[in-house]
Amino acid sequence: MAESVCRSLRDGALEGELAPTLTIKDSLASPFGFNVFSHILVQLSSQIVAGKSQSQGIMIVALSRSPSSYIDLLKTSGVDVESSKKWIHILDCYTDPLGWKDKRRKSGDITDPSNQILSSYKTVKDVNKLFSVICDLGRGLVGESKSRFCVAIDSLSELLRHSSVQSVASLLSNLRSHEQISCIFGLLHSDLHEERAVAVVEYTSSMVASVDPFHHSVDGQGSYLGNSSRQNLTKGKFNVRCKRRNGRVRVTCEEFRVEPSGISFAPVSSVDGAAVAVAGLIPKVQFNLQLSEKERVDRSRVVLPFEHQGNGKPIQIYDGRRSLEDSKNEATPISGGKKEDSGRGEIIYYRDSDDEMLDSDEDPDDDLDI
Amino acid sequence: MATTGTRVSSFSPNLSSVKSSQHPGLKNGPNGTTFISSGISDLDKILGGGFTLGSLVMIMEDAEAPHHMLLLRNFMSQGLLHRQPLLYSSPSKDPRGFLGTLPSPGSSKDDIAREPSHEKDLRIAWQYKKYFGEPQLNINSNNGGQHDYCNDLDLRKPLERHFFTSNNVNCVSIQNSPNLDVLKDRCAEFLAQFSRNEGGSSSAGRIAIQSFCSPQCKYSDMEWHMLSFIRSLKGMARSSNVVIVVTFPPSLLSPSCSKRLQHMADTLLSVRAIPDEDKELAKLLTGYQDMVGLLNVHKVARLNTQVPVILEATTFSIKLQKRRYLVFECLNQAPVDGSGGSSYGNSDGCSRSTKAGSLDF
Repeated sequence: MAESVCRSLRDGALEGELAPTLTIKDSLASPFGFNVFSHILVQLSSQIVAGKSQSQGIMIVALSRSPSSYIDLLKTSGVDVESSKKWIHILDCYTDPLGWKDKRRKSGDITDPSNQILSSYKTVKDVNKLFSVICDLGRGLVGESKSRFCVAIDSLSELLRHSSVQSVASLLSNLRSHEQISCIFGLLHSDLHEERAVAVVEYTSSMVASVDPFHHSVDGQGSYLGNSSRQNLTKGKFNVRCKRRNGRVRVTCEEFRVEPSGISFAPVSSVDGAAVAVAGLIPKVQFNLQLSEKERVDRSRVVLPFEHQGNGKPIQIYDGRRSLEDSKNEATPISGGKKEDSGRGEIIYYRDSDDEMLDSDEDPDDDLDI
Repeated sequence: MATTGTRVSSFSPNLSSVKSSQHPGLKNGPNGTTFISSGISDLDKILGGGFTLGSLVMIMEDAEAPHHMLLLRNFMSQGLLHRQPLLYSSPSKDPRGFLGTLPSPGSSKDDIAREPSHEKDLRIAWQYKKYFGEPQLNINSNNGGQHDYCNDLDLRKPLERHFFTSNNVNCVSIQNSPNLDVLKDRCAEFLAQFSRNEGGSSSAGRIAIQSFCSPQCKYSDMEWHMLSFIRSLKGMARSSNVVIVVTFPPSLLSPSCSKRLQHMADTLLSVRAIPDEDKELAKLLTGYQDMVGLLNVHKVARLNTQVPVILEATTFSIKLQKRRYLVFECLNQAPVDGSGGSSYGNSDGCSRSTKAGSLDF
């Protein structure tokens, strides 16, 4: 649930525990990850300004969008960016991430003192430096004391583009274990990376929110191009997997709709096949108390041996002696042991002592009255 | 109604009566092997006595749940209670911090509640004791907590500091090492103290390696390096009186590397998360409310013999009794249609194995 996700980010980290980390995952089939990201950003920022959250400041690491777009976004959503108490800082890794402009001008990557909110960062490939810059600026934002700040990473995909999976994983885990960081959230485009990279990011986060289309098609491109209904392009499913402290995973599903004003969430309307593959977790138990239709029909057709068969013929209980008529019709030779008659489903038992002359007194079956 | 104890087959060998007199932490096993406790009595029963000395135990983690930490905590704590030296390695900056979360033996009054409650009419039978004349040994006494083979460890009670401030705990952080050579050297050094050539299994040691291929480690993409490390570790372990427990997340490795690591294990366990508040699962399993996860036993170590262990059941539920004691129980399931659907890749059914059946004996 988007509400509960925002709430866990707002509540932040407990003492001695890792900070809650949210990864918003989207793909080409449903590319609304940024809408969710900005929704959460706006919610968290308004709570920070109102003083309702654990964190007292937010650091935005802007890699895929310009810092000014964030300032505009927050302003249009009614969040006071220019307030007297500094609560937001944007690390600009967008304008010049690799320091190409500087190669001509030879200026360093220090913060621009005139602009309180913005600092530029020019060495995105050096993830260790990024970590220390985030920590220093964050500490500058909220002070040295026990107060915390949260970190929003615009695009983990951009980070993964510039540096290895291992360094991004170590950045995330260092951020999570930093005592002044309250929560972290970041955006990831899952189809831009190898499965392992996505798995690593999911491993290091405590909540994974994936933005999915309503119906997954086999070919990701097909659903994008062949989608006739315009409605489906702005709606989709919001699936969240939260790792709880006791080791269980809370799986929730909601529908979202993208509107010009933002994104809205609603509980799942249709009773779709929301069944998670739960039965696959536990072993299959091999007994079944129900009969299928075919099994019921077959059961009614079984001919029980000692029963009035009701077809007029005298009942013959086969006891190993073969009657004369049968021996004429029999094509195959007698074999000792059991033989199954494939036509009628009977088991015909040939007694080993077949050639012995049977004493009629001693045959116990003779006095059975059927 | 969920059963409170694990099902013990009438054919399981009764090893509990065979105790090693030399050391309370060791127990003689079949075929000349020795067992040490895993710290969880249910797991010891499932494995037929405990972890075999000289074996490599691998635990496959689930990316979504920290249950492997529970297993590790009990393992490490049990070793410290028996004064068995411990080497612990983790990808965090300060592994010593983890020692503060190790559980301590629970107090005896909690333990009594684990026994099934006796009804009034059995009291008559108890009085026969006075006619026998022998003193009845109370096997479950917690008087000398350290002298039990396996203690009931209370996860909420931290272990007293004197157990791990002494020299028998070494911690290694593998976060910043570029490769595994440092860890390999530390392990070799540790294992040299327990070499079997010197005769007499008087002491045993434990090595716990947590989250072995954690993605923040610099060597985490060097798969062949990691595989050769584990192989050499296993070789060193065979000739020492040590049990090595390694946990790793298989979903973060390539499938072939993960399979190779699984094959290298002598004892292979995996833990899995379960969804929270899932109505389907609640209908299928009794006792779902108390469960926190699932444990699968894929392989059980059998050294010095060719006879494999065939378990009655390989999937167990992980429960925290009274939120303190870790127990594993057999699953009590409602009958389901056995023909539909396919099982999870890693799980093994009670009677039928799936495509992971190559690891099943």
